[in-house]
Amino acid sequence: MKLLLKTSILIIPFIIFSFFYLYLSKDNSYPGADYKNFSLPSFELKNLYDDSLISNSALKGTYLVNIWASWCITCRVEHGFLSQLDDNNIRIVGLNYKDNKDDAINWLAKYGNPYEVVLHDYKGSLALDMGVTGAPETFLVHDQMVVAHYRGEINKMIWNDVFMPLIKQEGFADAK
Amino acid sequence: MLNKFLFLFFVSFSALTDSYYEFKNIEDEKRFFTLIKEIRCPKCTSGSLASSNAPVSEDLKKVIAEMIEDSKSDEDIKSYISDRFGKETLYDTPIEPNTYVLWYSPFVFLLICLAFFFFRKKT
Amino acid sequence: MIAEISHYLSILSTAIFMLTFSLVLVLDRSASHATLLIKRSYSHAFILFLISFLLYVYLALTDNFSVSYIAQHSNSLLPNFYKVTSIWSAHEGSMFLWIVFLSLWGFAFNLHNDSNLNVKNLSIGIISIIIVGFQLFLLVTSNPFEIVLPFAPENGADINPVLQDPALAIHPPTLYLGYVGFVIPFAYSLAFLINGKKSLDWEKKVKSWSVMAWVFLTIGISLGSWWAYYELGWGGYWFWDPVENVALMPWLAATAFIHSLSVASKSNVLRIWNLLLSIIVFSLSLFGAFIVRSGIIDSIHSFANDPQRGMYLLAFIAIILFVSLGLFISRFSMFDSSKNIKSLSKESFISLNNIFFGVLIFSTMMGITYPLIYELLYNQKISVGAPFYNAIYAPITILATIMLVASIDSKWGRPIDMKGSFSMLYISLAISLIGLIAIGYFVGNMPFIIMLSIFMGLVIIFRYLMLIISNIVHKKYTNTPSALAHAGLGLLILSISANSILSSEKVFNMKPNEIREFQNITIQFSELELLNKSNHDSIRATFSLNTEGKQFYLSPEKRKYFARGQITSETAIKIMPLKDIYLTIGEQLDNGQWVINVQLNYFIRFIWLSAAMMALSGLIIIKNIIRRRA
Repeated sequence: MKLLLKTSILIIPFIIFSFFYLYLSKDNSYPGADYKNFSLPSFELKNLYDDSLISNSALKGTYLVNIWASWCITCRVEHGFLSQLDDNNIRIVGLNYKDNKDDAINWLAKYGNPYEVVLHDYKGSLALDMGVTGAPETFLVHDQMVVAHYRGEINKMIWNDVFMPLIKQEGFADAK
Repeated sequence: MLNKFLFLFFVSFSALTDSYYEFKNIEDEKRFFTLIKEIRCPKCTSGSLASSNAPVSEDLKKVIAEMIEDSKSDEDIKSYISDRFGKETLYDTPIEPNTYVLWYSPFVFLLICLAFFFFRKKT
Repeated sequence: MIAEISHYLSILSTAIFMLTFSLVLVLDRSASHATLLIKRSYSHAFILFLISFLLYVYLALTDNFSVSYIAQHSNSLLPNFYKVTSIWSAHEGSMFLWIVFLSLWGFAFNLHNDSNLNVKNLSIGIISIIIVGFQLFLLVTSNPFEIVLPFAPENGADINPVLQDPALAIHPPTLYLGYVGFVIPFAYSLAFLINGKKSLDWEKKVKSWSVMAWVFLTIGISLGSWWAYYELGWGGYWFWDPVENVALMPWLAATAFIHSLSVASKSNVLRIWNLLLSIIVFSLSLFGAFIVRSGIIDSIHSFANDPQRGMYLLAFIAIILFVSLGLFISRFSMFDSSKNIKSLSKESFISLNNIFFGVLIFSTMMGITYPLIYELLYNQKISVGAPFYNAIYAPITILATIMLVASIDSKWGRPIDMKGSFSMLYISLAISLIGLIAIGYFVGNMPFIIMLSIFMGLVIIFRYLMLIISNIVHKKYTNTPSALAHAGLGLLILSISANSILSSEKVFNMKPNEIREFQNITIQFSELELLNKSNHDSIRATFSLNTEGKQFYLSPEKRKYFARGQITSETAIKIMPLKDIYLTIGEQLDNGQWVINVQLNYFIRFIWLSAAMMALSGLIIIKNIIRRRA
């Protein structure tokens, strides 16, 4: 009985410490990345520029959905990288999040437009349906399925480590 | 003029519902207040929707109010939110095989300690 | 220049604490000349460190933004008070303060004379080496003295506006004083184990120190709860946030510890408990520091993620824990346990109490770590919150309170004797039942567990009241601190339960000049102002309220701070005898209406009153001990 007590007094803390050690050593380089798959929610939103209605069916193949807004300062930082991506690698659909239409259009005029099309999600309803908590966030969509979700601004390193492996792995050929 | 300025100042955007938090009856209202305390704010490092001013928290509160109006159950509402923002949004940890250890270990521990206590050598 | 001097003094202090430790190892600890040397060495090390810290305070007060930490957390526009408190608003500075307090406790204990030189010197040596470990942690991984080169910023980044608050400013120092105070019983109990003479009444020597640390911890936790209530806007006072829990665990262990200490040398088995508890309390304090500073847990309190710091702290705490547990295991057999605890004696109640507290600590630890375990096992995140903790704490607390009431009549070394107490017990049960029925009539349906909690809370209060009255009448001695603290516990349980069942809230959409009614309170939206203050703009909504024949104004605000663009909500609270009326404003709607949240929070002031009663009882215990010594 005493031996049991003695060992448990030492073993319990040992287990607790080993556990914390394991947890701390876990590789957690991209806490903003989430790879849970879900279907792109059905939506019908206006095109930012011409008010024409766009729904799921209009967007086929592989593309990024980038959540942005003119009031979002970090989006300005991310914008440069998105323009590079647009030129070379992948189609980008913009989701203008809780933004005034004119402000958004002016912003794109000023900084450039890397988006194939921009959806005006004034109420943020599609964003909420996709699990967006703010801007900027970026989703990788393939055949109506979301396969990756990154919270925060993306840059070259994040693009290479979070999105590219999936694109290569799944052989998303039509990513451009 | 003041109203417009205030409106812009707080970057407050239109609701997803027209009637904010005005419920048909007291039960619905109580459900609302309980739910917003038990659902975690997805953007904050910690804290419930009730204690958060974040835009996404405000949106979720409106959605919850709307779903209560639509007679959706607590389970439906929690599923809706956890499907989109992750299981970690539920402070009310579900009791399921993966969490049995959490929920039952305190009582097991209590029983073991009491066993040691009551079956000790007595003088 | 000053920054460099301050830095240098910290380094020098570390070296001298190391020297102190070496002296304790090498010299003849029973000799008085060695004692003097060790005493002086420690004092010098401490004074150097204190001067280093005071110089750092000077740096903050004089807006020295060449120091990176001060630049990140202070600002020239801050009032002096907040310039100083900004020092402990983040990791490096608060760690600095932590170690200052740790060495301060040691300094006070060091000055205090002890006839047993060997054990005293050993304990000083143990405290010194622990300080060295933390100082190295500070200087190597969390250096508050880093300089911004080559040009210092014009002004600081400013403190988070939410931290510019008096209660929140003194909450960390009070809490730290509590946490680190337990190094005294820890070091002394280890010294006792090393020394090996079981006749030494080490428990008596550390009792007043332990109670003082417990008092600070009690006050520190209550301050945090009080601040959360009036600042965070949701009307709650305890969220079971990981960092709240991590302060609660040492408090639970410390409470069990000081109860166990009161038995002192009356029972060998409890002496073993005392040793184990002194190790557990201090370890839980260190564990708290680890959890908060390693970034391992998501919490509003947690400081920035840094696994390197986490690893260092983990290793350091592991060493302290395994050395002390190892000592404990190898030496506790010096207590011959043939004298066991008698059934139904006071010692048995205290042992049972230790078990209940142990279960609460275990459960809290489980709740904090389970999300991490789950993530490691299933690669998915979950949260553990109030529903879990309430489910565990409520029944255990009720069991403990039943045992508490029974234990009032228990005796040392022999079975419980209820003769003469039956009438007091029956009267308290009867009054409590009446009280419960009265509340039930007012409220309607109550969950069973709440009824039980309210009932037990009342029973404790009335039973102790009966005890005090009876003792006055029969001219018998009353253990005042015990009665006060336990009555405080009864009040705490009663208040928490009443608060959860009686409180209510409602949301209104109102335009200026509109009137609403809620629970016999008339609320009129009388004014809306836009204010411009030095570091923020705000919208202030003033309401005229009318209830119970009284009329008063409440002005909640919504503020936007310039420095970080943060938006905060300021609550407006009216304190009434049994409840608080609590008002916050939310968003503005398209039609010009504002979302207004009204809450009635019952018995909330009594929660903090009960904490004050407990803290006061601790102070009385210390006063009694000092008196007895004189």
